[in-house]
Amino acid sequence: MDMMRVVYYKWKGINLLRKTSIFILSLTFLILCYFTFISAKKVFRSDWQLSQTMSQNEHQHRLVLITQDLETSFWDQVETGARNQALKEGASLEVWGSYGNNQEDFLEKIEIALHSKVDGIIVQGLDNDEFKNLTKIKASFYGIPIITIANDVPMSESFRRTFVGSDQYQAGRMIANELTNDMGTSGTVVLMYDSDQEYYQNQRLSGIQDVLNVYPNIKMVLAETSESREQVLTTTQDVMNLNPDVDAFIAVNANITTGLVQGISKRSQVEPYYIYSFDDGPDTLTLMKEAKLDGVVKQSPEMMGKISVQLIMDWLNGGTAPLDIEGYFTDIHFMKAVDVE
Amino acid sequence: MNSIQKKILTLTTVVLVIMSVIWVALTYYNHKTQNQYNEILQRYLSMNEVTNASQEVITDLNNYMLKSTSANLERLERSKGQLLEAKVDVDTLRNQENNFTLLNYINLIDSLLETTDRFLLYHVEKDTEASAKEFTEAMRISNYISEMTLTLLDAELKTHDKFYRGIIERSGEVIKLGMWLLMLITFVLIFITYWFSLGITRPILKLTQAANELSNGRFDVEIHVETNDEIAFLARTFDRMRNNINNLISEIKNKAQLERELQENKILLQESQFRSLQSQINPHFLFNTLNTLSKKAYLEGSEETSDLLVSVAGLLRYNLKRIDRSVSLYEEVAVLRQYMDIQKARFTERIKLHMEIDEECLSIRIPALTLQPIIENAVIHAIEPREDGGVIWFRVMDEKDRITIEIEDDGMGMKEEKIKQILEECTVEMEGHSTGIGFSNVVKRLRLFYGYDDVIKIRSSSGKGTKVILHIRKEGVEKDDQAPNRR
Repeated sequence: MDMMRVVYYKWKGINLLRKTSIFILSLTFLILCYFTFISAKKVFRSDWQLSQTMSQNEHQHRLVLITQDLETSFWDQVETGARNQALKEGASLEVWGSYGNNQEDFLEKIEIALHSKVDGIIVQGLDNDEFKNLTKIKASFYGIPIITIANDVPMSESFRRTFVGSDQYQAGRMIANELTNDMGTSGTVVLMYDSDQEYYQNQRLSGIQDVLNVYPNIKMVLAETSESREQVLTTTQDVMNLNPDVDAFIAVNANITTGLVQGISKRSQVEPYYIYSFDDGPDTLTLMKEAKLDGVVKQSPEMMGKISVQLIMDWLNGGTAPLDIEGYFTDIHFMKAVDVE
Repeated sequence: MNSIQKKILTLTTVVLVIMSVIWVALTYYNHKTQNQYNEILQRYLSMNEVTNASQEVITDLNNYMLKSTSANLERLERSKGQLLEAKVDVDTLRNQENNFTLLNYINLIDSLLETTDRFLLYHVEKDTEASAKEFTEAMRISNYISEMTLTLLDAELKTHDKFYRGIIERSGEVIKLGMWLLMLITFVLIFITYWFSLGITRPILKLTQAANELSNGRFDVEIHVETNDEIAFLARTFDRMRNNINNLISEIKNKAQLERELQENKILLQESQFRSLQSQINPHFLFNTLNTLSKKAYLEGSEETSDLLVSVAGLLRYNLKRIDRSVSLYEEVAVLRQYMDIQKARFTERIKLHMEIDEECLSIRIPALTLQPIIENAVIHAIEPREDGGVIWFRVMDEKDRITIEIEDDGMGMKEEKIKQILEECTVEMEGHSTGIGFSNVVKRLRLFYGYDDVIKIRSSSGKGTKVILHIRKEGVEKDDQAPNRR
């Protein structure tokens, strides 16, 4: 009986061992199968296709927005407005341009856009002959509509369809009014502007002058400079040397603001002076935050982008109303450094 | 037939199929990857082709402007054609990402072609200034085309960046897959091979064990191999051989047994003969003397003594003659009577014999001198020690298929041990036997003669007597002299 039991247990033990090894073998097999399968799935998954080719017939209006100052906060906002509108209108929009006012690049981009026969060009106006030549002759040759944005070039010189942006004359007036509010009706004001004498700049200048001329005690000093920073610095120094009693500076062209502020700070404290500018420069807002500027005229770049796309699409789709030659003005308001903080 | 060869072939085929599947899959994968690379490369080449073609146009244009031969014009036309072809090629490359730029690109090509056409027009009209302007224009456009080609290629790289990464990732995955697959196949193959080889070696092992058993002389273990290949056939044949050998051996054993029994018989006979020879030292002299004494007693008027002497003589003669022969029961009973006459003369009134004999049964054969030793035994144990004597019953009864002979006494009985000894044919020292033939000798001879063991039974109870019963079957026992102890 005992013998039998021993044999039974031995048999049971062998059976258990056998069962365990079969279990382990099966487990190993299953694990190997699983990993092989996973690996095979990864290797043979079927997303081999390259990006979808487009059907030839699908036609979208191709618009190009060209600026001289890519990736400044002002133009980024314009771009945002334009892109959103383009998305809404179902047009494809690309933003081209040059960095840091590189005019040669900028003009080349316009030329490429023209040769590429895009459907519409929204361009920052540049008041020089080449630009006018391109927009007048080339654009009409290819029959491509051009809208100027932010900075205008008169219709007669550029054959632009319309202008979308701020009323620069009004902007000039606004800044001058603020100045008289802050400074009072007497003092010396330096108006510094770009020697290129662009159309929009002249408009601002005449706006400012129109206001300040009213006050006999305000002395206006016109300082012309080229856009290079060294030149701006030198000009600032010169002006300050010639007019030691200066009270206020207005950078009529936003691009020279940085140089102006630097020039002043080289000589003395920045705080005592009233310094004003416009918001379409590369670092106007930074300067505002640092309280080096006392105030800027704030435009509505996003609005500009939006309206310009809207108008050009209207025109391309044979919209009802003809475009207003004078332009579509967007909202402007004055912003003081205090408001920013 | 499912042979080992077939098994091996199946295994090889399975391995081959697995290998082929892997090979096909990898080849397919490789092919696909290569196609993808090719497609992408083709895109780059198409774009590059545009640049080349446009530059070619400019070169030809320049040549034509400098030297307005028809050959140059033809070359210019040809390069224009090439540019057109390149344009058509590039047009197929449009996708979501590059749609805008590619349309620009195509339009630039168109512009270049148009400018070229205008140049030719002015050139034909000999308007040198205008044509020079158009040439400059064309050159500029060609430059733009080159630039845009770079832009497009850059965009392509960006678009396909993820794709390339995917391909690289996948090739890493292929190595992993290979490793897993290798492990899996190794595992499966080892398992299958083990299982498969077990299928071949296990029957062989069984066969080996069986052969071992056989060589150790165990022929009764059946060989059982449950496969359906050659080894099973071998095992079956082997098993048949084992069976045959087993049968032969048992036959030999039987024969040996028979031989042994025969030998024993002979020895027993020789013993009896020896004893009878011993008692034959002077038998004839004794026999003649007894006869003479009988006649003399008769002549002297002592008839009783004469009869007694005749009985002794008869018994002696029977004893001398009949030891190695079978006799009829009748003769045996006659000898018994003579013996009892002698004993009566010895014990006179102390001995009482009752005989009940069915005369029908007296013809049956029986070994000589079997009943006399039993009766003598009864006399020795039941009559001799008692002063008032005893009774002995002797019965012969017909019981249809057998004849029963009973010898009963009313003595003090026999001990169990002794009965056992007698029935197991041990040689027991029996005191005072006249014929020198012991009880166990009788038992042996009876069993040998009749061939079955229960021919004799002894019943005894202490103080009441002993009864010896012989059962002799009528069937199977020849009534003539053909019994096995006959010569």
